[in-house]
Amino acid sequence: MSLVDKAKYLINYELIGKQFLKFQGWQDHRKLKNYRPSPDSPLAPPLHSLVNAKNLLSGHYLQGRYANGVKKVAWVTSGAPTEILRTLDMLLIYPENHAAICGAKKVGHEFAQEAENAGYSKDICSYARTDIGALISGKTPVGRLPKPDLLLCCTNICQTVLYWYKQLAEYFKVPLYIIDTPFLYDEMQAHQIQYVRRQMEELIPIAEQVTGRTFSYSKFQQVTRRAKQATELWLEILNTGKHHPSPITAFDEYILMAPIVDMRGDESTVVFYQSLLDELNDRVKRGEGAVKHEKKRVLWDNLPIWFKIGNMSKMLGAKGVNVVASTYTYAWGEIAPMLDEQRPLESMSKAYLYPILNRSPGQKMAAMQRMIKEFDIDGVLLHSDRSCKPYSLGQIDQRDEITYKLGLPALLLEADHNDKRAYSEEQGQTRLEAFVEMMES
Amino acid sequence: MQGLPSRKEIIQRVKDKGEHIAAVMPIFYPRELLRAYGFQPIEVWGPPNIIASEHQHFQSYACPIVRNATSFLLNGGLDQTDLIFVPHTCDSLQGMGAVLLDFIKPEQAVLTLYHPRSQRESDLVFLVAELKRLAEELSKLSGNQPSFDELTGAINREEMADKALKSLYDNRPQLALSDREFYQLVRSREYLPAEDFILQFEQLPKSEHQPEGVGICISGIVCEPMSLFDEINALGAHVAWDDLACGSRRLYQTDTEGDPFERMARRLLMTVPEPTKGNSITERVDYLYRQMARQNVHGVLVYDVKFCEPELFDIPHLKKGLSDQGIPLLHIEHELDGQLSEQMLTRIGAFVEMLQSEVTA
Repeated sequence: MSLVDKAKYLINYELIGKQFLKFQGWQDHRKLKNYRPSPDSPLAPPLHSLVNAKNLLSGHYLQGRYANGVKKVAWVTSGAPTEILRTLDMLLIYPENHAAICGAKKVGHEFAQEAENAGYSKDICSYARTDIGALISGKTPVGRLPKPDLLLCCTNICQTVLYWYKQLAEYFKVPLYIIDTPFLYDEMQAHQIQYVRRQMEELIPIAEQVTGRTFSYSKFQQVTRRAKQATELWLEILNTGKHHPSPITAFDEYILMAPIVDMRGDESTVVFYQSLLDELNDRVKRGEGAVKHEKKRVLWDNLPIWFKIGNMSKMLGAKGVNVVASTYTYAWGEIAPMLDEQRPLESMSKAYLYPILNRSPGQKMAAMQRMIKEFDIDGVLLHSDRSCKPYSLGQIDQRDEITYKLGLPALLLEADHNDKRAYSEEQGQTRLEAFVEMMES
Repeated sequence: MQGLPSRKEIIQRVKDKGEHIAAVMPIFYPRELLRAYGFQPIEVWGPPNIIASEHQHFQSYACPIVRNATSFLLNGGLDQTDLIFVPHTCDSLQGMGAVLLDFIKPEQAVLTLYHPRSQRESDLVFLVAELKRLAEELSKLSGNQPSFDELTGAINREEMADKALKSLYDNRPQLALSDREFYQLVRSREYLPAEDFILQFEQLPKSEHQPEGVGICISGIVCEPMSLFDEINALGAHVAWDDLACGSRRLYQTDTEGDPFERMARRLLMTVPEPTKGNSITERVDYLYRQMARQNVHGVLVYDVKFCEPELFDIPHLKKGLSDQGIPLLHIEHELDGQLSEQMLTRIGAFVEMLQSEVTA
């Protein structure tokens, strides 16, 4: 650990950065308190928790900015069993989350273009292109990303991450550890669970070597307990969407989910989600909906279209449509009951095999059917995401089942989660309007 | 190629014997296990130039192999098969296997196999268990329960055929075959029983063969239409080596020993560095460079099926890594529609000309 790096970290992050973020948070909360939305705005005032989420994330990336030389850093996929690395006090960076931030800030396509200029095809995942473009160009909206000491790739969300992390391993010349999670065409089987467990066990000495620390089982249990608490809270938060009117929209959830992905296992994440749940319960008590005049309730399937979140929320809200649930945000809640601090490795082996993206489209259909009933859904929006094939392949049949078997309007909306060049604004708008009309008819 | 039985002839012969046919999707799978349980694998690499079925199950940005194969199935092209086997090669084939099982539900049984992406002990242990699971499923379907000796015999036969395939590659300059004929023979491994393939290999006329033009390596998943080889020859080049999923990437290990399931697992795991697996790109570039230096290759034509993510991700590093060694690379994508566009041929022509001028210089 260099003294200069440590001094920079202490001054810029611990002393100045944290205080600055505290002040900024205070200012944002004050602004929000005094915020008077225009009477014709279709949406309720933003949640205070959105400010807290922004603050948590800013702190995370600020810490990352000064972490090299002070803390060991791992870049990890969003479905990776990070509790192991967190136990060893590693700072975790999620390239997917970084790419989503770039998308939400509407610069994803610019970075993707940088990757394309370097020879990457525009037919590969736009998250990967965004991040690779950010690496090549050195540009990022989060200040600076720390270099990784270890790459952890878990294939429970797609195989794309494997190809992507192989690029990162070439770029950074650091070890890449793969946790391979067999795809569940059917029920989970014993040999699949054992395989994942064995790989997790193999990861521990590798991470110990990278960090120079000894793995503490009791700390691992503590981290697992916090991860479970946070995911349980997240599930409760998502389930507030069952209320009429719903106090939350899936568009809010996409922003609010960042800590459950990036900071699962931290105490601050548990505190954050408890506060969010309280805020939502308060809305429920007051009968306040996230969409002021909620008339129709929609289920969203697949990743969001990051660069259209705000516009879509307003456009649908103006028609009294609230997207009250999403299969994507639910993925991080579903694992809650599976985590067990008494048997962390065993329970995690099952939980990390179970994300919706690692299960067949038929199982996703069953989950959607359950959500349609529980959330009292009037229509389903299936984002056919050019960049996410494992999520999107199967949607044509899912749409048909929703339409013909369940008798609900379902729209397959062609877009991309991060690359606005793959989305036709006019066509999208027309199709969304037609979808709302179908729900109303 | 004269004397080479067609897919249809093999299917008919197998059916006449009362045996089963398994339609197998790319890339890696245990041929020996299917054979031991009474299924003759007939591989389905698309096929190219298929009329789209009335009902489409996959979006237009899905892999053409998956879209074509599904249309082929729905149009009745796989009616004579008893089993559809979909190895977990990539996200697209994962999607195909799952949609077949959950929504299309064809008359044939559908089986899958998960491939570990690394080559660690834990991967081997898992793959052995996965192959045993598959064996149980095959037994349920066929009613067969091969003995240890029968399973070992099936592995030995496939290893002999794989040795013959390797020998084909090693002795390429001594074979009086055009590039097209050579690859027709290589690809007959996709449907010929091992013993027939060995016979074809043994009957090959040997004579000194001087390939004409500059030597290129062709890389990608599948080389369709096969007339591409004639066009390459006509442009003044020959295919000196390949890095094709339907070609040399499947030069499996031979002479394995021990428990049959471990032997099969090792053969599937210990493949050459290739993009669908966890090998580093540096490892892949080094391997390709070694092969190319040995085969006197002057340039690489990467001929990719559209939307193939594992292939596409590697392109920039492959291009740089090989060009650092003085080997230029041309990347072309095709829709698996059985067509060779003029634009495509012009690009290949310009590439060959560039290689020729470099060789002359």
